Amino acid sequence: MSLRMTTPPPHGGRLEERVVRDPVLAKKLAKGCPVYDIKPTLSDKGVPVRNVYREIMSICYGFFSPVEGSMKEAEVERVLNERRLLNDWIFPYPLVFDISEEDYKQLGVTAGDRVLLRLKGKPFAILDVDEVWRIKDTTELAHRVFGTPEKNPEVVQEPFNAKHPGWVIYKSLNPVVLAGKYRIINEPKFRPPFDRFWLPPLKSREEYKKRGWTTVINHQTRNVPHVGHEHLMKNAAYMGDIEPCHGIQVNAIIGVKRKGDYPDESILEGHEAVNLGNYIKPQRHLVTFTLWDMRYGNPLESMLHGIIRQNMGCTHHMFGRDHAAVGEYYDMFATQTLWDKGIPSFGFDKSVCEVEYGLHIRPQNMREFWYCPLCQEIAYSESCGHTKEKEKFSGSFIRGMVGEGIFPPRVIFRPEVYTAVVKWWKEFNFPFCNQNYVVQQEQKLEVDLPDLDV
Amino acid sequence: MSKLFVVLLDDKRVNAIKGSGLEDKIEYMFGGNLRAFTMEMPDEKANTILKEFDTARTDTRGCITDTPLAFNRTLFEEIAKAKSLGPEVVDNTMARLDEIKELAAKESDYLPAPDIPT
Ligand SMILES: [Zn+2]
Repeated sequence: MSLRMTTPPPHGGRLEERVVRDPVLAKKLAKGCPVYDIKPTLSDKGVPVRNVYREIMSICYGFFSPVEGSMKEAEVERVLNERRLLNDWIFPYPLVFDISEEDYKQLGVTAGDRVLLRLKGKPFAILDVDEVWRIKDTTELAHRVFGTPEKNPEVVQEPFNAKHPGWVIYKSLNPVVLAGKYRIINEPKFRPPFDRFWLPPLKSREEYKKRGWTTVINHQTRNVPHVGHEHLMKNAAYMGDIEPCHGIQVNAIIGVKRKGDYPDESILEGHEAVNLGNYIKPQRHLVTFTLWDMRYGNPLESMLHGIIRQNMGCTHHMFGRDHAAVGEYYDMFATQTLWDKGIPSFGFDKSVCEVEYGLHIRPQNMREFWYCPLCQEIAYSESCGHTKEKEKFSGSFIRGMVGEGIFPPRVIFRPEVYTAVVKWWKEFNFPFCNQNYVVQQEQKLEVDLPDLDV
Repeated sequence: MSKLFVVLLDDKRVNAIKGSGLEDKIEYMFGGNLRAFTMEMPDEKANTILKEFDTARTDTRGCITDTPLAFNRTLFEEIAKAKSLGPEVVDNTMARLDEIKELAAKESDYLPAPDIPT
């Protein structure tokens, strides 16, 4: 038996890095190709709900390895039926490059052609079309993606509908899919503060090595961390091999925002403030992000999170109740079930770590932290028995306190974290995402692109 | 039965009521780290608040919650002015209803940022 754990291999065995950095080659690859300007996916109310650029980035920088591009029809079918790619590796969601019939007619491409994809008017990536296929019914697709109470009775409690943001993404897809591999030919530059948190898998693995980390536990976030989150991270990190995990990685999912979320900038700098304030030493803590328009698929989302963080080199992943959930479509323990015993109706009769072509990253299923006045500490719900006296870190309570402008006590919000929130509050005139932020962010995106004359 | 209303305090607010005699009424949560007043709201005042603000509700402990943040801020200003937690501060607050409603209408998109160095 080996006592020490080592950095896991990438999902699928090899990290994808589909980025052309030589401008001469880039120009050669893009020369003479028909051009398509990437547009946001709009809901039927005209609201941007997704931008495929984020998927292209996450695929080409290896976060979604072994996925190489937009999926063929047979691959989407296999993902929906078995949650596996055609090469057998497990994967939760269909990923497609979808365009309207009008755009397709205008583009006039077919299998074997190459398309130059532009972002914000600049050359960005190429797509080598292997197959053109059509989504017959996006409503049916959306239901199949997330499951139904009839087909997935173990975990789906109620039918998905237009109140679920992930369901709306699939429902809003265009009918024509250009399937094929992507390559980025003009690397986008992240705007501050995103730039200093951009650490795609090849880089994160290098960084861990530099820091001497072999065991790393990941914390998924879409939130500014309160002290309850901080204790979750610190305590979950005791799980390691013969000693606690060397590293605690925060990986924020950055994508389309919903009104009332914290702005991306506060989330990233709020987490960074945890290490700048030395609540978790900077040597042990690393804040990063992945571009992805959250599908809120609870167990399915957790599978994607596992894939992303294994690709980044993490050995462990924390999962709480209601992981990446919205509403009560899924059972609140659905994610923990997937990682513990599997969900047969999604194709897994064992944990996703125990099935063939499954994951190597280990789950750390966690419950809750609260303040206990009798223990006089931030206590773990499965240790502290003072359930009557407990004082919970209620999200809505904390948001109310923040909105009212009350400086939170450091046992709830670290002052450094709160200061990061207020910094961006001053910028956006609101501590959370308002309508203006949501609209602007989808226009500006997280990146700008250099000129590339093709 | 009267209702309750929790007024959260931070250093700035505690300084504003220094010497008012209200210090004795401060309650402590989270190991003494979070300070607050719990005001008694006679039924008549509680009903006015619930009637004027459609987000406001009463929770399981009988506390009025989800009032506009502008209401909460104004209520504290009136407490500090009157140096009292008596029902008259609710009257003084409600006398500024127009001002509160104007701010509350913008609250889903705009909130004044606290004046702290960042
Ligand atoms: Zn206890």
